Amino acid sequence: MDKQNIRFLIVEDDEMIRLIHKDFLNDLYPESKIFEAENGAQGICHYFESNPNIILLDMMMPIMGGEAFLDILEEGHRSNILKEKPKIIVVTAIKDVKELMSIGKRFAVEAVISKPLVQNQLKSLLEDWIS
Amino acid sequence: MNTTFPNKDDFLSVPVFEMEKALNRVHNKKDLLERVIDIFVKSLSERISAIETEIHNENWESLGTLAHSIKGSSWTIGAQQLGDIAYAMEKTADNKDIILFSHLFQIFQESAQRFFEVEKTLQ
Repeated sequence: MDKQNIRFLIVEDDEMIRLIHKDFLNDLYPESKIFEAENGAQGICHYFESNPNIILLDMMMPIMGGEAFLDILEEGHRSNILKEKPKIIVVTAIKDVKELMSIGKRFAVEAVISKPLVQNQLKSLLEDWIS
Repeated sequence: MNTTFPNKDDFLSVPVFEMEKALNRVHNKKDLLERVIDIFVKSLSERISAIETEIHNENWESLGTLAHSIKGSSWTIGAQQLGDIAYAMEKTADNKDIILFSHLFQIFQESAQRFFEVEKTLQ
């Protein structure tokens, strides 16, 4: 992935956490484009508009949560509406191990990181993908 | 239902706010921390009001989501005490135990007051 053309999508209902994610990504990849959504439904709209390469996804959100967001992306991919598969990093405060393992097996989910986010974990993942 | 009331002192032994953790989250950017804390304080007040309404309605799904959100943002900002109580509230919402949830919410509101007092000293 070329860092000049990176498009991030942050799907997170908490404005404060979106701001922290955005600032962190801006510092790491100042030339990237960063889109924000407050819930899964907005996230789907932004997904089709901006075609992000990497998505930071919260799971528990009002209106539409991360599970439904992943369901829709998976269905879009299965039915060939979506051609490219994004890389999804789930950032969640869910603590149940079984639930976390189940999320980790979902479509396009490359990693599951616990809140509060240790940003070095995220940085190290991104560095593996972005040159 | 077998309700076990947690001891308030268990939560009180945890710091209300840890500046070092908070600064770490924002890479020591004090201006960003100010913005982050402003958002947190505003959303905390809104969420407390929402919980008051949803307790009355016994809307467990909403109470669980609210407690979960507070937990995540509190731990992120270094408000460990609020995060820990919110975590207990989230688990209690799963069990739909209104007596225990109300008890925890009382402890939570007292902790929120302590946080607001600490926050004033940061300005």
